[in-house]
Amino acid sequence: MQPCSREMQAMNSLLSPTQQIPLQDLQPNGNSGTHQAQIHNPQFDPTSSHDDFLDQMLSTLPSCSWSDLKSPWDPPKSDETPPSNHDNNVGFHYDEILASKLRQHQINGGGGGTTAAMKMMMQQQMMLPGRPIAAAGGGGLTMPLHNDIVDGSSFKSPNQQGGEGSVQALYNGFGAGSLHGTNNQSPNQPQHFHHPQGGNMQTQSFGATAGTVMNQSQASGSTTGGAPAQPKQRVRARRGQATDPHSIAERLRRERIAERMKALQELVPNANKTDKASMLDEIIDYVKFLQLQVKVLSMSRLGGAAAVAPLVADMPSEGGDCVQTTAGGGGSLQRNSNGNQPSANNDSLTVTEHQVAKLMEEDMGSAMQYLQGKGLCLMPISLATAVSTATCHSRNPMINKGSSSNHPLLQSNGDGPSSPSMSVLTVQSATMGNGGLDGSAKDAASVSKP
Amino acid sequence: MDSQHLNPSSLKSRFTARFLRALIKINAQKPISSSSPREIFQRYRRIKVAADKSMAYSVRSRRTWSRATLWKLRSRSRRRLASSGRRSSIKTRTTTTTTTTTTSTNHRAAIVEKTSHEKENKEDHVGLAVQAEELRELVPGGESMDLCNLLDETAHYIKCLTTQVQVMKKIANLYSLE
Repeated sequence: MQPCSREMQAMNSLLSPTQQIPLQDLQPNGNSGTHQAQIHNPQFDPTSSHDDFLDQMLSTLPSCSWSDLKSPWDPPKSDETPPSNHDNNVGFHYDEILASKLRQHQINGGGGGTTAAMKMMMQQQMMLPGRPIAAAGGGGLTMPLHNDIVDGSSFKSPNQQGGEGSVQALYNGFGAGSLHGTNNQSPNQPQHFHHPQGGNMQTQSFGATAGTVMNQSQASGSTTGGAPAQPKQRVRARRGQATDPHSIAERLRRERIAERMKALQELVPNANKTDKASMLDEIIDYVKFLQLQVKVLSMSRLGGAAAVAPLVADMPSEGGDCVQTTAGGGGSLQRNSNGNQPSANNDSLTVTEHQVAKLMEEDMGSAMQYLQGKGLCLMPISLATAVSTATCHSRNPMINKGSSSNHPLLQSNGDGPSSPSMSVLTVQSATMGNGGLDGSAKDAASVSKP
Repeated sequence: MDSQHLNPSSLKSRFTARFLRALIKINAQKPISSSSPREIFQRYRRIKVAADKSMAYSVRSRRTWSRATLWKLRSRSRRRLASSGRRSSIKTRTTTTTTTTTTSTNHRAAIVEKTSHEKENKEDHVGLAVQAEELRELVPGGESMDLCNLLDETAHYIKCLTTQVQVMKKIANLYSLE
């Protein structure tokens, strides 16, 4: 009985100060050292209702008499025989105790936040599938209320050795589990699992006195892979409600990933995909496209005789920019291509290319605008090949037709500037996932070789 | 256009300042009217490197990708310096390059090995490993991150790339409108 009495004392001493705990200490991220509020916050999204609930728990705990707590506890205790069944029974009845306490609280007319309390209770009940860790987890819910000890010991109040030992076991099992969970956690989540490590130091000292019962249950309570001896009474955790720290961690991680995907969705245009995989595809394509744009733009910055009009015609969102740049590019072409003006060799050109060639003879700018209207642009061969190789393995293969003859990098055409033919390059906005070759995919100009 | 640079310490203005300075330097070094394709290609390379470098500098190694880019650029320039200094002896050059490559490969290998274990533990259930791999190749410095951080880095990288593209487009406009 000694540990129990010590805990009773500790609890009593702690109970009064904990009443005055301001709520912000119990908030998920506001607390730094005193409470273990962070432990279970990942599990409960409605943190505001969490606070309401905690508030009520705090206010009602001292008012609840210990006999109230004892009475639901006592009858099940009589059923206990082997220690191995302890945890599960305890787990079950722990649940009932909490439920009864909450019901009492509601009956006593705890005002607002009853629904919150109900919600928390529901979550708790789901959370307590009878595994010792789960039960300790349930105790852990109330643990944030008081530092480390109180609620666990409040349920130890029925002063039976077995009961106390098993609750100790629960508590330490939770400690072990959370420690284990902490070890497996990525360093991104220090705030959630940091405190159990600090808090558990105390609990370990309490647990030292328990003995074989506690050790046994602690061993079975560790969450490594699920304890081997799980009696059939264990309730299977509901999907999405598991309390295993591993699955908690997994769930947390999944949530973070979903968060980030949402943030990325805003950055990437055409991001109306709901599927994660297709969203990732979009993102990949967009990054490739941006890198390609940087390359293209750095080529265009030459600003000299080697003038090019190197922009990829694409996304509607950048249509304005496209017009701007190609007009600028067209201006430069105009400036520089007077000496380089090719005579259109119309042997193998399609209508579009005819048109473009004609326009280019007159006015570069209008030629560019004509192309723009068709969703096409001029592009140097090297860039075209680069673009096609960059995206040839994506789902929307780009169509590259022809090349600009104005570009001095035109190696394949031998005499670049004087090459007679002019072809129009069609670049699909494959990177923007326009659902294939529709939409901006105009009639493709045929390839013409000089 | 100046009205858009309201915040003097924003990413955009930092990048613009650096990049313009680099451009001026490049233009001062080489005459603009260089006709041989090789020189043009070199110039293009220089500009691109300057753009990436100035962007990475503006981010100041606060992010993994910027650190990786800076590291890559620096190691490459170191290699070039070493190779140009010892052009006579091919053996030395290859040794230097191999040393640098081995260091980088070892570095990378160590990181990859360490994180592959973590990756296996954490990515099984998500099933996006293929795309994650591809994203890792795209984002500089992405090999050594789990999916969570990778997505974070990607978001920042995309933001910076869009800024870069915007600024470069405007500069290109200015150049062409002269």
